[in-house]
Amino acid sequence: MASADKTINTDVPEKDVFAIHFLQSLSNLRTQNLFNSPDTTNYRVRKIKKAAYVSMARAAGGTSRLWSRALLRRATKGNNKIVRFPRKKRKVTWKISSKRRRSDQRAPVVEEAAERLRNLVPGGGGMETSKLMEETAHYIKCLSMQVKVMQCLVDGLSPK
Amino acid sequence: MDLTGGFGARSGGVGGGPYREPIGLESLHLGDEFRQLATTTSLTPDNAGGSFTALLELPPTQAVELLHFTDSLSSSQAAAAATTGIGGGDIIIAPPPPPLHSFGGTTLTFPSNSALMERAARFSVIATEQQQNNGNYHNNETPTSSVPSNSSDRVKTEPPETDSAMENQSLCPNQTNRSGKRKDFDKKVKSSTKKNKSSEETEKLPYVHVRARRGQATDSHSLAERARREKINARMKLLQELVPGCDKIQGTALVLDEIINHVQSLQRQVEMLSMRLAAVNPRVDFNLDTILASENASLMDGSFSGTAMQLAWPHQALETEQSFHQRQLQPPPPPPQQWPFDGLNQPVWGREEDQAHGNDHSNLMAVSENVMVGSANLHPNQVKMEL
Repeated sequence: MASADKTINTDVPEKDVFAIHFLQSLSNLRTQNLFNSPDTTNYRVRKIKKAAYVSMARAAGGTSRLWSRALLRRATKGNNKIVRFPRKKRKVTWKISSKRRRSDQRAPVVEEAAERLRNLVPGGGGMETSKLMEETAHYIKCLSMQVKVMQCLVDGLSPK
Repeated sequence: MDLTGGFGARSGGVGGGPYREPIGLESLHLGDEFRQLATTTSLTPDNAGGSFTALLELPPTQAVELLHFTDSLSSSQAAAAATTGIGGGDIIIAPPPPPLHSFGGTTLTFPSNSALMERAARFSVIATEQQQNNGNYHNNETPTSSVPSNSSDRVKTEPPETDSAMENQSLCPNQTNRSGKRKDFDKKVKSSTKKNKSSEETEKLPYVHVRARRGQATDSHSLAERARREKINARMKLLQELVPGCDKIQGTALVLDEIINHVQSLQRQVEMLSMRLAAVNPRVDFNLDTILASENASLMDGSFSGTAMQLAWPHQALETEQSFHQRQLQPPPPPPQQWPFDGLNQPVWGREEDQAHGNDHSNLMAVSENVMVGSANLHPNQVKMEL
């Protein structure tokens, strides 16, 4: 899917990258022997869902995208030998406070929608509205790709 | 009292109308006094109409003026000038009450508030100027009305300043906000309007040069605001193209709602699918290595059925799984680009997983043939071991 805008780059890799990452994460789950021991389906579901999101984040661009970075950070809270984050000077707090204060004045219609988006898109809390929209576009593309991959998997696996 | 003397001189032709002493007064009392004054005294005949109401409304100003003028003892001319100055426009000052208390003293020393003094001086200067320019009040009326009204804007909004330059700038409000601009240039953006003027305001700054459009404010804040809004609109258009069905919707609010709904639905879909996967999962061996191996191995014709058999029976695959692991560790995995995933992905993957359930081999053959197109060669060893 080519991005219409030249300045904003929202390209996502093809399905196969997503597929590989997802299958890898699933096989990791398998080898962890999860499916034998836990009784609750819920536990399994959550694990798979988490694996899906993490693999999607990895496939979509690793730590080069804000939302994926936030996702991965969230996922590997304790043991962070898995993901390597680029070292940047973070003045995020400044940006949040100064921009938030003024953002209420700017087109309140847009801003309240931006609030809702921030809750949905991972890592949306520290972003300005324009950056948020970029990230949302990329996130939507990746999500739809991931959904396609998972759909294929399920269709393939489900008994006919 | 000097004050009474001053008033007496001011009133001119009237023979000293009854003027009560405004000793220790707040401005309220002064108001009464002045009203009385106005009715009894005939001030400059020109002022008659305009100045009375002005006088009524502006007792403190009057007091200030009078204070000043009685101090300077240029009573008659100054008084007349003061009335013209005041009568011409609405100068509303809120002078602090304490200075007025000095009315009570015999010597009218002006209050220590120098700012007030200067403000009064400024107004009187303007008044005198206007007076001196034309002898007639009526000719002055419009310019004086414009002058004090503009300066009143300044006075109302800003604390008393001695900067007459500021005031002069405020005198021409109908020009593009040059004074505002001058301040703003120090900050950020150079803007040259496409209006009738302002080619003069071209200061070179190492910042973004934005050209303001006709009819729009050239304040740097609004410029930045506008640039930001355009950015947001561009991105929203991008999002609109992305989300199906958003092109036809009019209005940003609805479009945004649609986008949010789409994101939510996608996330819910992921959750649904993961639940289904979890339900399906225990039966299936998700070993990526086997899948990779089968992909590569399908090059060899003879081994098609073999690989199919291997993958078709998960329990067998389980056994060999570990051996596969070991074998796969040594040879490097084939590069993903070689897999023809372009249009075949969906059917390929679907059928790939079908094998695990022992579907007929014909499917697999078809798949393998498809896959074979771009796959890499694999060592025959591995293939044979799969068998």
